[in-house]
Amino acid sequence: MYLVILRSAVLFISSILVILAALGILRFRDDVKRVLYARIHILGIADVACILALLALGEPLLAATYFILAPFVSHAIANAHHYGEGD
Amino acid sequence: MDILIIAEYTLLAALAVFSIAAVRIATRRSIGMGLVGISGLSIAIATILILINRMYGIGFCRDIAYALVLLGPVGTIAFARVLRG
Repeated sequence: MYLVILRSAVLFISSILVILAALGILRFRDDVKRVLYARIHILGIADVACILALLALGEPLLAATYFILAPFVSHAIANAHHYGEGD
Repeated sequence: MDILIIAEYTLLAALAVFSIAAVRIATRRSIGMGLVGISGLSIAIATILILINRMYGIGFCRDIAYALVLLGPVGTIAFARVLRG
C-alpha cells in the first residue's frame, strides 16, 4: 500500500515537472540572445522527470541508461551550437 | 479508481503536452533548436511507450522504448558532431 502511494507521488511530481518544462521551453522568444542554452537547461528538467517516472514505473535499466546518456546529449548540442552555428 | 492509475493518466497527459511543445521547438529556424526538440521528444515518447506497456500490457512497446532511448541520444550526438564540423 505504501509502495503504491510512493509510486503515485513520484509520478505526480514527474507530471508537474514535465508540465513546467513544457511551459518553460515555449516561454522564451526566439529573438532572445543565446536562447538555445536556456532551452537545453530546461530540457534537463524534463530529462530528470522522465528518469524519475521510469524508476517509478519499474524500469531501472532504462532510467540508468538515459541518466548516463542525457548529459552527453546536452553537451554535444551546446558544443555544436557554440562552434558550429553560434552567434 | 486506484490512485496509481490516476497518476499514470496524469503523467500521460503531461507527456503529451510536452511532446507538442518539443515538436514546436523542433520546427524552429536553427538546427540546434531542432536537436533540442528531437532530444526532448525521444525521451517523452519512450516514457509514453513504457506507460502504455504498463497500462495496457502491450509487450513490444517496451522494446521500442529501449531502442528509442539507446538510438535517440546516439543520433543526436552524431548529428551534433556533424554540425560542429
